[in-house]
Amino acid sequence: MKYTIYYIIPLLFLLSCNAPDQPIEVTSENMHSVVDRVTQIMIHDIFSPPVASRIFAYPNVAAYEIIAQKNSKYQSLAGQLNQLDLIPVADTLKGINLELSALVAHIHISKQLIFSEEKLGVLEDSLYSDWEGKNKKEFNASKDYGLAVAEHIKKWMVKDNYSQTRTMPKFSVNTDDDSRWQPTPPAYMDGIEPHWSKIRPFFLDSASQFKPAPPPPFSLEKDSDFYKELMEVYTISNTITANGDNSEEVQIAKFWDCNPYVSVTRGHLMFATKKITPGAHWIGITKIASRKINSNFDDTVYAYTKTSLAIADGFISCWDEKYRSNLIRPETLINLHINDSWQPILQTPPFPEYTSGHSVVSGAAGIVLTDIFGDNFAFEDDTEVPYGLPIRSFASFNQAANEAAISRMYGGIHYRAAVEVGIDQGRNVGNLFLQNIKMKTN
Amino acid sequence: MKNRALVFLMGIVLFSCADDKGSVFKKHSSSTTNVGFSNDLTTTDNLSILDYLYFYNGGGVAIGDINNDSLPDLFFTGNQVKNKLYLNKGNFTFEDISAKAGIEGNSTWNTGAVMADVNGDGLLDIYVCAVVGLNGFNGHNELYINKGNGSFQESASAYGLDFDSYSSSAAFFDFDLDGDLDMYLLNHAVHTPKSFGAANLRNQRSYETGDKLLRNDDGKFIDVSESAGIYGGINGYSLGIAVSDFNLDGYPDIYIGNDFHEDDYYYLNNGDGTFRESLKDYFGHTTRFSMGSDVADINHDGLPDLISLDMLPDDEMVLKASEGDDNIQNQKLRVKNYGYHYQFTRNMLYLNQPDGTFMETALQSGIAATDWSWSALFGDYDQDGEQDIFISNGIPKRPNDLDFINYASNDNIKIKLNNTNLIDSEAMRLMPSGSVNNRIFQGQNNLKFKDQSKNWIPNDTLVSGATAYADLDNDGDLDLVTNNINTTPLILENLTNNTANYIKLKLFYKNPNRYGVGAKVYSFANGTMQFKELFPVRGFQSSSEPLIHFGYGQSKTIDSLKIVWPDMTSQTLKNVSCNQTLYIKYQNTAPFEYKLLHKKIKPVFAKVKSNLGIDFMHKEDAYTDFNRQKLIPYQISDRGPATSVGDINGDGKQDLFFGGSKYIPSQIYIQADTTFVATKIASIQQDSIKEDVVSVLGDFTKNGSNDLIIGAGGGDFFNEMAPLTNSYYQQLKSNYSAVSFPEQFVNTSVILSFDYDNDDDLDLFIGNQSFTGDFGKLPNSYILKNTNGAFSIDSDNTFDTVGMITEAISEDFDTDGDLDLIMVGEWMAPKFFENNNGKFTLLNLPSISKLNGLWQSIIAFDIDLDGDMDFLLGNWGENSKFNASNAKPLKMYYGDFDKNGATETIVASNKNGTYYPIDGLGELSSQLVYLRKKFNTYTSFAGKSIDEILGKERLGLATILNVNTLQSGYLENNNGSFAFVPFKFELQTAPLMDFLVFDFDKDGKEEVLVGGNYFGVKPFHGRYDSFPGALIKSEKDIKLGNILGLDFMSKSVRHMNIVKLNNVAYLLVTMNNEKAQVYELLN
Repeated sequence: MKYTIYYIIPLLFLLSCNAPDQPIEVTSENMHSVVDRVTQIMIHDIFSPPVASRIFAYPNVAAYEIIAQKNSKYQSLAGQLNQLDLIPVADTLKGINLELSALVAHIHISKQLIFSEEKLGVLEDSLYSDWEGKNKKEFNASKDYGLAVAEHIKKWMVKDNYSQTRTMPKFSVNTDDDSRWQPTPPAYMDGIEPHWSKIRPFFLDSASQFKPAPPPPFSLEKDSDFYKELMEVYTISNTITANGDNSEEVQIAKFWDCNPYVSVTRGHLMFATKKITPGAHWIGITKIASRKINSNFDDTVYAYTKTSLAIADGFISCWDEKYRSNLIRPETLINLHINDSWQPILQTPPFPEYTSGHSVVSGAAGIVLTDIFGDNFAFEDDTEVPYGLPIRSFASFNQAANEAAISRMYGGIHYRAAVEVGIDQGRNVGNLFLQNIKMKTN
Repeated sequence: MKNRALVFLMGIVLFSCADDKGSVFKKHSSSTTNVGFSNDLTTTDNLSILDYLYFYNGGGVAIGDINNDSLPDLFFTGNQVKNKLYLNKGNFTFEDISAKAGIEGNSTWNTGAVMADVNGDGLLDIYVCAVVGLNGFNGHNELYINKGNGSFQESASAYGLDFDSYSSSAAFFDFDLDGDLDMYLLNHAVHTPKSFGAANLRNQRSYETGDKLLRNDDGKFIDVSESAGIYGGINGYSLGIAVSDFNLDGYPDIYIGNDFHEDDYYYLNNGDGTFRESLKDYFGHTTRFSMGSDVADINHDGLPDLISLDMLPDDEMVLKASEGDDNIQNQKLRVKNYGYHYQFTRNMLYLNQPDGTFMETALQSGIAATDWSWSALFGDYDQDGEQDIFISNGIPKRPNDLDFINYASNDNIKIKLNNTNLIDSEAMRLMPSGSVNNRIFQGQNNLKFKDQSKNWIPNDTLVSGATAYADLDNDGDLDLVTNNINTTPLILENLTNNTANYIKLKLFYKNPNRYGVGAKVYSFANGTMQFKELFPVRGFQSSSEPLIHFGYGQSKTIDSLKIVWPDMTSQTLKNVSCNQTLYIKYQNTAPFEYKLLHKKIKPVFAKVKSNLGIDFMHKEDAYTDFNRQKLIPYQISDRGPATSVGDINGDGKQDLFFGGSKYIPSQIYIQADTTFVATKIASIQQDSIKEDVVSVLGDFTKNGSNDLIIGAGGGDFFNEMAPLTNSYYQQLKSNYSAVSFPEQFVNTSVILSFDYDNDDDLDLFIGNQSFTGDFGKLPNSYILKNTNGAFSIDSDNTFDTVGMITEAISEDFDTDGDLDLIMVGEWMAPKFFENNNGKFTLLNLPSISKLNGLWQSIIAFDIDLDGDMDFLLGNWGENSKFNASNAKPLKMYYGDFDKNGATETIVASNKNGTYYPIDGLGELSSQLVYLRKKFNTYTSFAGKSIDEILGKERLGLATILNVNTLQSGYLENNNGSFAFVPFKFELQTAPLMDFLVFDFDKDGKEEVLVGGNYFGVKPFHGRYDSFPGALIKSEKDIKLGNILGLDFMSKSVRHMNIVKLNNVAYLLVTMNNEKAQVYELLN
């Protein structure tokens, strides 16, 4: 450490002496690279989908609140998001580069939220040394302001009940209730985030604002609605499995898997294959759309912020219902009552069935992205390419959302009601955002 | 410089000596032995640990004299390499005769090796198991018939033994006692990602994976598995087999160790060609990832005891970085919904009991954690008369490393793993090596084993699997040979030689079982019995030299040797000199009465069939403490039910009150003429919400009828919730009505009625155990003074933060005429309060003040028969992952470590001088989330002390509670001063929950009955289920319940009471989550 400092100081000195100050340009690509890196780290650190949605949202809000100060197109979310106050105002005399401040604030809050800080630190260091080399004074002033805003946002953030929910009781498995969710193969993990409904929403008035109708009453009578839906999952799965891995339905199921922790066991050997979460997939789509229309930095921050907020409250709304209905997964019932060696095409994720989380957040994200980029916005979705999956093309965000929802039935992890009710629940969340939250002036 | 080099060189020489030689065993290298065999594994794109789950299980080893030159020869199987046979040329040199002998084998993947005289011609043949039909493996199990000229003929198909299935091992023994050797074949299942189906999958036979029992019908082996009652399902991962006459009826029984979720199988031989699988009847719990096993009588009671191996590491660096036990909810699910038995990840040592049950003591015996263990071999390696244990160890790569599980698939590796089945070098690199030392433990005549791994055997970093013993140099002591992965076999010469005495027996039984497989030998010397059975297949994938070996320390003669042959005849040799090899021919035999082996059981108690009409079944509610208070050391919600015996309906006869758990009403049984009858008293039973933990019947109002006081607990209701308050029901003319009672909001544990102020009414002591949600905070306890039937707190006698009380008794220990008070509890020492005119004062008793324990029970009893009162104390016992001593107490750190306004407890115990938390990172961070940021990987957490984990600042916030002893015992009263005397081993196997004094055997003198066991701990700790109860007549006369007719094993006793029906006394035993038991007193 000591040696590094000795080494760096003369270097900085040289740079500051010889290089004339240049303007620092912070681009939308800088923003994408930070968001991408945070997404990667979340995969490494294994954050569950609801927690991941929170990690996306707060840094974006911090960045957005800074650019809203200078870009007259945008207005602050203070007073609009629950309990968010105005951030400190930037001193216009100090030569602050607000885009730079926005990215600094974003990185700073992201680091707070992830586990493996050093992995983001690498990117942070390279950006900072680049900027510092170009214009030390501007960099320092902008960084100081970004950190001040980050502190402000953190004060708001820590009051969202997240840390309290960490130590709340685990989900209780009750083996006497046949309809109640129980851990699923192969890892039999505990129910994830049973208290997520207690997290302060960003714009919902409460977690239960869009409480969906209950699922069909649990019944194993052959003519009951519930049993028919159970059999439908089983039948669809068998049919498309017979059609092979290249069938459209299997392709759709795998494309939208978005399971951050798929447990693989081979004897005593275990490992996890990890992917991005549903929220991260839609953040990826936001990047694709922003790039397609060459969004500038401010517009990019706006798009990320809006999408991530809709997704975050989508999860809160969905998880509220999941741990209200506590419904058992199709895999458990099919194994018990129909076929003891049946496996779903996707691995069943570790939380109750109703409603489908991917359906809810896809519904919500589809609504706000359509508002940002317009309807019938065609795009090539290459988000999953790094995970060995192909590119899929969509004619609109809502079409993609519909496909994401139905993919959960194809995957054998959800009944129809969870998918259909779920996407409506998500669209209600998205529409509420559009109604109540004004981000654009005019 | 020169000198330094010299010193350096000498150092190397010293080290290399030390590497080859321990104090008992010396390693012979392949360069001198000529044993160049090496089980080299070749990983290919299509074959690795990813493709075949047992890629690292290793080959087999079999030792026996194949050419009748009295020197045992060595046979090794290679998984992928050719088998090898080495002739013993003496002096630890061997000659490779593999090619000539024709035993190199034709299967792709060989596993277990057995030597047995299969065709009954007096020559040892060789059976080689193979895995066939998986991963392109071909071939079949091979039987090499010994032609007597140094060559062998593969003849498996002629004998019906050419199985092409997933075999791991086989054992030859005569299960139907028709004189010839039959065979049990172990096959293993192949894992699917679908972890467990219902346990009854084992009923559907599968050729490839199911075990088989083959009956030898005149040289043809017939598959009788199904009719004999042998499971052969797709979920049996059979790796271990132990054959022994466990129940001593003359017929060999079988214990099969199954890996993964499948239960082990305990097959008792019916003697009619069939078996009954009886695991759940006789074993409270078993190993989870069962591997090898072995049998020997380790405590000289003539009953074969059993060890089964698992893979629990003891090194903190490995332990905390490895996947551990199930979580508690999954365990419940698996047991309740899927029908499996309790299984835990650690070695198990099962002590065979006279009633056929097994007492499991591996933790207490010191052999629970030996890492990735394959083979266990009992043997008296130092010849001191006690059985020692050699355990082979190691795995090339640890596939259950938590960082590997979670992070291996980070970058691009996961795609490869997932899409191509190829585990590349990068992924392999991320899996840490599991090459660890083999282990050896010295038996010590007290059921505790001393780890001599660093002393007796040379250090090694081998991956050793199959192991066999033999007397390779015919010097009388037991040498050891292991088959290792990727290196030559470990050949260990035993150096005991003439420093201790031995006898070695070779048996000559009737053909076709000429080696006497199944024979028993009893040795009597110096008043000690030793007992061995001849079943050469033992350990793991191996068979040892067919011999019987006993050590005698410095004794030179043996009073007698009794050989019991498989045909249930015996012969006896008297006054035998040590230090010789005896060749014992079957001759001059007399019939042997197996009945004589079962005379120990002399019941004092017998279950009453009708249960006297008391069909009370306590049902514990489903609440799991660890879901809410994730880090507490044990539950507090399962301490009920309350039990009281007394007249409830005013007819002068004893009735019964049983408390209910949360949301379950209490039950009342009224005594009728010949039985008890369940009765409703609405005013009492309408309160179903509270959990009734303790109760007292007494005439507190002095109106001639009993009143009822119930103490509430349950560990679920919290803060100032009404169901935490105690209840007081006064009786007036058979009507009970609730009246006010001093309010408190803690989990009550004791209500003791006694007249402390000598005003001739019954006052109360209320003892409290804990606060829900704030475990570790010390509650107050109280004296409630009775004033005309109303109770009020006696503010002159408060017991502020006296401790986590579990039991209290009133006793005039200073014999001044008033009742004094003694309290016991958890994380505290027993406390003696002297009563002086109604004022209690804590006595300062130096001998007791440091006796912090997890005390559960106390009673006054003159155990040393000297006329004064001693005090018997029930503690947690030593059969636990907790450990405690005065020098190294068990510590519980209590504080708000995550600063969220709620407290946590972290329990840490001392290992090699450092305190480590008992919980791992996963569990700790489920409560203390910030630890996930502090420790990014499991490796960074592993091996860290509690100080390093919590940090100075947070440690400073902690209150530390200590336990100095976990032993149960008694306070011996020596003229008013007390000395603590621990009970014997068998009474330390579980928490002792209750004592009862009565003259049970009607000999005119009182005894103490002890009940115990407790299950409220996480699967990492297991289940304290092994205590069978005990009857204490005196310090020297303690008998276990399993010879007295008690059915306490695997049940958790709460209360024991004497109940009189028509003036006949019965024993009533109340248990948690179990039906109440009623015993009549025999004699």
